[in-house]
Amino acid sequence: MQEKENVLRIMEETKKAIAKGDIFAIKNLSNQTINTASLTQDPDNITVAVIVYSLSKILGRQDYHKLPDWEKFKIVFTSAVDGTIAGLKENNEKIVSDYLEKIRAAIDKLSGKLKIYIQDVFRKARINKASRIYEHGISMGQTAKLLGITQFELASYAGQTGIPDAPLGQTSNTKSRIKLAMDLFS
Amino acid sequence: MTKAIIFDASTLISFSMNGLIEEVKALKSIFKDGHFIITNEVKSEVIDRPIKIKRFELEALKIKSMLDKGILEMPSALGVKDSEIASKTNEILEIANKTFSGGDRDIKILHLGECACLALAGILNKKGIQNVIAVDERTTRMLVEKPENLKKLFQKKFHIKIFSDPKNFKFFKGFNIIRSTELAYVAYKKNLVRLKGEMVLDAMLYALKFKGCAISNEEIDEIKKLA
Repeated sequence: MQEKENVLRIMEETKKAIAKGDIFAIKNLSNQTINTASLTQDPDNITVAVIVYSLSKILGRQDYHKLPDWEKFKIVFTSAVDGTIAGLKENNEKIVSDYLEKIRAAIDKLSGKLKIYIQDVFRKARINKASRIYEHGISMGQTAKLLGITQFELASYAGQTGIPDAPLGQTSNTKSRIKLAMDLFS
Repeated sequence: MTKAIIFDASTLISFSMNGLIEEVKALKSIFKDGHFIITNEVKSEVIDRPIKIKRFELEALKIKSMLDKGILEMPSALGVKDSEIASKTNEILEIANKTFSGGDRDIKILHLGECACLALAGILNKKGIQNVIAVDERTTRMLVEKPENLKKLFQKKFHIKIFSDPKNFKFFKGFNIIRSTELAYVAYKKNLVRLKGEMVLDAMLYALKFKGCAISNEEIDEIKKLA
């Protein structure tokens, strides 16, 4: 894993925020993962970004906590956060990857509404993080590949953000581009 | 004279998700001696992969129907072999992804589909076939038209010093880029849009923007003034 120290700090602070039930702090931590994820494009960094963001959403939904399997899932993600921290401290990348995988596997083992809800949270988290990486200047194709989503999902989400209006994204004269298009069809 | 529009996945997605496939077909009907081309890599992104995902199966089928009907064609229609594109694509991928660096690492900015569009455009340029690339996503366009802005964007977002290789910038010169919005403008001006009325252009441009076309509100206003 690249930028290990940064990821370790984020995971440790996430653990504290989970204990305090500080959803806002967890969401803020997930935003901090994006720079590293965009730059390194390391799969584990990206997974951490998605997981931390998803946790902020899942923990913020009190209605999920009443559903069957919630306590079981809570134990899995708490132990996965602990395990990831331990793995990072020991410089054991395999343990880190394994724990991140355990979270995914735990979701698959859930049943009923909780499984559907949490799968949906993770799917939306991937799209949200993809949009943030695209915002950083990484292409749509590359970003979709990194997050394992389709460009259809990314395009429709990113289109509703401020990304297209960033002044640096304006790269040519409007009139010239229109002329180029019109001339093609003349 | 033969000419071609090379479609990136992002542009086909904008049209498809806005129900504007019929307008693309109408544009093709007036594109004399012209071809609408997609590469294998783009086909994979807009047809082969999404057709297996229920959420996007219909969008993929709409685009597939254009390929089946010959509205969209593969590069072989212009005598270009897939192997030639693949080889050039890898070269472009390598160069694009070594153009910017920061924090002691290269920044991987493009993926296969986008590079394949550039590769095909380069091949067609050499063959003397007039062509433009229709790409709605922002990064490819920035790399071609204003790579220095991409560097500024990276510095702004990553908060670190970004290095760029200016000799690579030259490699990306000579490509012509349009977006779905410019094609929508042409369709509007040529009276090819099924909906009629004064609001239609505005509605189409914003719809395309909201489905991923990287165009600013300011640019949309400028386009409307030209109509």
